Amino acid sequence: MQSESIYHVLTKMIEGDQQAFHALYEATYKDVYRTVSFLVDHPQDREDIMNEIYMQMWTSLPNYDPNRPFHFWLHGLVIRQVQRFRVKSWRRFRIFERIRVFSRQEHHWDQPTLRTDGTDPEISRAMHKLTDKQRTVIILRFYHDYKLEEIATLLNIPLGTVKSRYHAGLQLLRKQLVNLPLERKEKNNAY
Amino acid sequence: MPIESQISEYLHQEAETMECPPAVSKRIEQSYSQYVQRQRSKKTMKKRLISSFVAAVIMIPTAAFAAPPLIEMITRTPMTAKQVKMDAVGQAALEKLYRSYPETKSFEIIDASQLGGDPANASQGKAIQTSIVLQEKGAHGKMVRLDLNGITGEIEHVNQENWEPQEKPVISLTDQEIKSKVDDLINKLYGSSSKYECNMELMENSDQKTFILNYTEKGSATPFYQAFVQGNTISVSLIGGGPAPSVEGFFTTNGKPDYTADAFLNDEKLFSLLRMSPADLKQELAKGASVVEIAASKKISKQQVMDIIASTQAKKQIQADPHGGATNDNRTLEQLKQILEPKVLKVIEHKTETPW
Repeated sequence: MQSESIYHVLTKMIEGDQQAFHALYEATYKDVYRTVSFLVDHPQDREDIMNEIYMQMWTSLPNYDPNRPFHFWLHGLVIRQVQRFRVKSWRRFRIFERIRVFSRQEHHWDQPTLRTDGTDPEISRAMHKLTDKQRTVIILRFYHDYKLEEIATLLNIPLGTVKSRYHAGLQLLRKQLVNLPLERKEKNNAY
Repeated sequence: MPIESQISEYLHQEAETMECPPAVSKRIEQSYSQYVQRQRSKKTMKKRLISSFVAAVIMIPTAAFAAPPLIEMITRTPMTAKQVKMDAVGQAALEKLYRSYPETKSFEIIDASQLGGDPANASQGKAIQTSIVLQEKGAHGKMVRLDLNGITGEIEHVNQENWEPQEKPVISLTDQEIKSKVDDLINKLYGSSSKYECNMELMENSDQKTFILNYTEKGSATPFYQAFVQGNTISVSLIGGGPAPSVEGFFTTNGKPDYTADAFLNDEKLFSLLRMSPADLKQELAKGASVVEIAASKKISKQQVMDIIASTQAKKQIQADPHGGATNDNRTLEQLKQILEPKVLKVIEHKTETPW
């Protein structure tokens, strides 16, 4: 969707136009869902975050500056909601840990679902080894093709921090992929 | 292949396999509808706060449904300008307004809502009340609010705001000028004011200068129209049209009888439920207790009180409908009762001398 028509749709959405909502949702939901899925592993969490993102979207629509690219603004929303969610779940985790220590019960954490259908299982596994912060930078860089400067603006952190997360992330990925079985390695080094 | 392109390729491929579950979309859509509804009701609330006149609190409706802005109704449904124009009652009222005040044709409908009924679905039954707010463009534009009886189409209440210049609001005019302004409003929107005797009085309201004008028919105890003038607002209510209630002024405001709740409280069944005479009830209320508290002291629940009053009012409503829009069956009765409950609740929890 072009910026101009997006602006038109947004204005209608603020007025409560259901059709405008559908148009905007259709135009964005795949991108948003995929971004969230890369950053958050558990389906239920993804669902909650999606809902939060869209709620946040229409409540903060009046703050959107139409002169700036819509997707950049949208990704800012996505990142903030994912971060908010992490803070929240970290708090929950802390409480949970305390209970666990007292009751000495074993708990089985849900294992993140690994997708192997048609995509590279090694990279997938390697991706999961990244810290959340590294992963966010990697996704923004390689999935959304943002420049490191843009990522710094999106995450509201210094460029140096972005660079260090980016390099650390890449290095970790590289290390994981180097440990691949021989035939895979050959394929990977085919350039 | 360098690792960068490998990652990028992986991410794009992986993304293609990710499908957003339909449940998520559905949930978000619902959230949006709720948000829109909340926004609308917030908007109506806000505008209603501006337009509804503070002193309207002391209105004197004896007709059952004539207390529009006093009691904020929870069950109001917002309407679009288009729905207002489609609505028979709304349309007739707008035509009347346009005829009487041609300048209002250029006004914008900034708010409209219905109590009961569903503007999008006429088969859901008629609205008890339709409210429309029109405003001239500009920060201090003239504003009119009409509250219409959904059944009879009568105008129950009019608020006229900002019709005088800001620097010389209506309240600053001479008594004679104020009266002629109110006369004019009644003549144009209700009918002739000439057959009524007008009694104009400055209210003992320390916060803001307020005039009250009672238009009373000869020999009648209750006024037919009652107007309040405050700031730059004139607000007129239709009071007459029914017999005077057996007991008047169960509550008081500023030491003057407040007729707002009379139509609800003059209920034989309520008196027998409470095992009290109307005079006793008035006396108890004067001590500052609410109807609910009085009932509780007799081990009667709030729900029982609410049921009795809502059911009497709902029956009145059904009988009052000359076109048979409301049918006399239990379902309609129950629906009407439900719509009325917030109104009733306000009355039975009210304490004398406190603002509504």
